[in-house]
Amino acid sequence: MNLIEILSYSFIQRALLAGILIAVLCSVLGVFLVLRRLSLIGDGLAHVTFGSTAIALAFKLYSAASLLVSLPVVLLASLGILKLTEKARLSGDAAIGIVSAVGISAGIMLASVGGGYNVDLLSYLFGNILSISPEEVLVAAGLFCVVMVLLGLFFNDLLAITFNEELARVSGVRTKRINAVLVMLTALSVVLAMKLVGIMLISSLLILPAVSALQLARSFKTCIMLAALQGVCSVITGIFVSFLTNLPTSATIVFINLLFFGVSCAVRRLLIPRSAIPSR
Amino acid sequence: MKRSMLFVVMSIMAIAVIVLAGCKRRDQGASAKLQVVTTLFPLYDFARTIAGDQAEVTMLLPPGMEPHGFEPKPNDIIRISQAGLFIYTNRYMEPWAETILKGIDRQRLKVVDAGQGVRYVKASAEEGLEDGHGSHDAEGNAGGMDPHIWLDFANAGVMVNNILAGFVASDPAHAPMYRANATTLLARLADLDQRYREGLSSCGTRIFLHGGHYTFGYLARRYGLEYHSLSGISSESEPSAARMAAMVREIRSSGVRYLFAEELLSPRLTETLANEAGVSVLKLYGAHNLGKDDFERGVGFIDLMERNLKNLQKGLACRSK
Amino acid sequence: MPVEVVRAEQLACSYREGYVLEDVSFTVNAGDYVGIVGPNGSGKSTLVQALLGLVPISSGSARLFGSLCNGFSQWGRVGYLPQSLHLLNPVFPATVAEIVGLGLLSLKRFPRRLTRHDREKVDTTLGDLGIYDIKAKLIGELSGGQQQRALLARALVNDPELLILDEPTAALDPETRERFYRMIGDINRSRGVTVLLVTHDTGVIGQHASKMLYLDKRMLFFGSFDDFCHSPEMSSLFGEHSQHLMCHRH
Ligand SMILES: [Zn+2]
Repeated sequence: MNLIEILSYSFIQRALLAGILIAVLCSVLGVFLVLRRLSLIGDGLAHVTFGSTAIALAFKLYSAASLLVSLPVVLLASLGILKLTEKARLSGDAAIGIVSAVGISAGIMLASVGGGYNVDLLSYLFGNILSISPEEVLVAAGLFCVVMVLLGLFFNDLLAITFNEELARVSGVRTKRINAVLVMLTALSVVLAMKLVGIMLISSLLILPAVSALQLARSFKTCIMLAALQGVCSVITGIFVSFLTNLPTSATIVFINLLFFGVSCAVRRLLIPRSAIPSR
Repeated sequence: MKRSMLFVVMSIMAIAVIVLAGCKRRDQGASAKLQVVTTLFPLYDFARTIAGDQAEVTMLLPPGMEPHGFEPKPNDIIRISQAGLFIYTNRYMEPWAETILKGIDRQRLKVVDAGQGVRYVKASAEEGLEDGHGSHDAEGNAGGMDPHIWLDFANAGVMVNNILAGFVASDPAHAPMYRANATTLLARLADLDQRYREGLSSCGTRIFLHGGHYTFGYLARRYGLEYHSLSGISSESEPSAARMAAMVREIRSSGVRYLFAEELLSPRLTETLANEAGVSVLKLYGAHNLGKDDFERGVGFIDLMERNLKNLQKGLACRSK
Repeated sequence: MPVEVVRAEQLACSYREGYVLEDVSFTVNAGDYVGIVGPNGSGKSTLVQALLGLVPISSGSARLFGSLCNGFSQWGRVGYLPQSLHLLNPVFPATVAEIVGLGLLSLKRFPRRLTRHDREKVDTTLGDLGIYDIKAKLIGELSGGQQQRALLARALVNDPELLILDEPTAALDPETRERFYRMIGDINRSRGVTVLLVTHDTGVIGQHASKMLYLDKRMLFFGSFDDFCHSPEMSSLFGEHSQHLMCHRH
């Protein structure tokens, strides 16, 4: 099967297009989230989406309409995670754990109290990169623009709070507001992108490109670009490799990201002298 | 403050669940009728038809839920252990059944393997896709046998007889009534089989393409259709890009005008294939489980199969006589 | 008429365990170099964090440049070098230049973008502190002293009128420490920058600072170094011998 034939399928074109857009925005968000120790926020918010979709289905709101319930709920949950880390002095992973447990248990309770659904909840919750509709490509493009523009506008503020919150405040950065911008952009991306490409892809694109880039980056800007580059490369090679090897596409993309991470670690060991790495 | 609120809410929910569960159990205790627990919808429907009003039949699977990934929760195991009769489809469909039954006291509980005596067919051999081999390694987890036996109506008859035997053994006092109900049901299944045979005898195409998991192998075999599905036996397996493309080529080359979709799972992949190949989508009931609305309306297995026949006739361009 | 830069009035801060700071009142004028000293846990860091609005004030008030600390917005006039350097993530992937550039955000409005002029300003500041050569290095790969100077550059890059340093030399060897203090003294004298320096090293105050604030949950002394040396109260507090040692170096 040659390249041109593969590209002649419009569902492959859409997978590449939407996949690249989502990979870039997840990878870039991921750099900030990993450094803020919120790496698992993708999974946590996915669980909240599960719970809120259960509520939506209880009101007979399906697919697109269920966003009317899940989007506000997940945005609030992301702010809740933030509040728990600020007010209750919990670490990020503990706060995410609490919020995701509430989401999951709410979903399961609703399911058992409501006596089931008309459809299988999980299959409607998670999309598949191979089944992206033309309208969803537009959704991905819109999401990409919103996230990238806001990340661009707040780039220095985000870098400042990620480096050190106290210092950021003394530089006049409204840290609470910027933290809220970060988690709400993440929430928006998780809710929308999950419906398009599934949660496995989202949560691994939020973590793996970022941690690989952290191995090799020689500045913050190159870190962001390396992460985005890995995200994009993994989607493109993942789709083609899935085509050639007959493996599930999302899993292939995740696996290629793991491969990139392994290579990054090896390259770091080889290229960067021991002495330059602090012993701490 | 907020955290304590959350705690209060969670506690109230927990108490409510415990109270509800308690109520349910007391109801069951009060009734002297035979308690029958079934796994999938066809068993549930057959059992409740046979039972009439002499037994209480329940289904483990919550309405709407995808059955292949189902694993019983502790509460479900309690339900099974408190029942008098437990009916499951077969060990390919419910691989967990045998393990769980080992831990349950079998003195009171009668167990029916509804698929006993059915001639099983390998799923992978039936598929015969030019590049589908090995793509969905369902063989490992399901022993390679297609578990969807209820979609061959002769097999459905075998299942009805197995279930009847279970009822008679558990509650001999009402055996004549159970037998009468089963006879009626068998007659309806035979009639359904006849209508399928006639309805699908002269069709524009005999190629039956399905954008879901491998479900209708038995049905296609019985009525001489060539059946291909997007994924393997388990609805949980995810297709590869190559399989998607192969399916598109297959739809195009076969000249069919309709692609069939699963009833409970999201039809995203099916719709993508249909749009790519320029065909329309029709819903087909695998009937593993039922949606909540249909469940509450009391829709039966034969009703679903009648809906299927309509859609199959439309999708395969059949002339009805 | 001296210009008031910092003013605290009956300032008190408390955590769950009780007061860590009580009844602190003092005024710092433009050009002052105030050393804040006291034993461990005496509330030195809490005091500067309260002035910067980083910890809540339980009673009293604190003002920077005449405006109350909570709600203070003229961050362009302040530079801050925090104590908790060891909390910095050692694998943080930013260069010295990127981190120093963040010091300029206090002068900007939304969206805070850095111009070429800003980058030149970063270069000059790094040059002034003698660390232009590590500009492109990752902040996590620097030695303690280099890291300290990079963060000092971040505090100075916006040409602040008030520089607040919280135990800046904790991680440094004696030689580097000495050089660091000379640099701060120089900044104070040549640019007229007001300096608040928290340290546990009382000797330093004698050598460089013009005023001294002795803190042990309450303010025990605030005044010029000479007053400190001739105060009988301080003799009784420290013992004449150590008071003599501190003052002798002066
Ligand atoms: Zn199935």
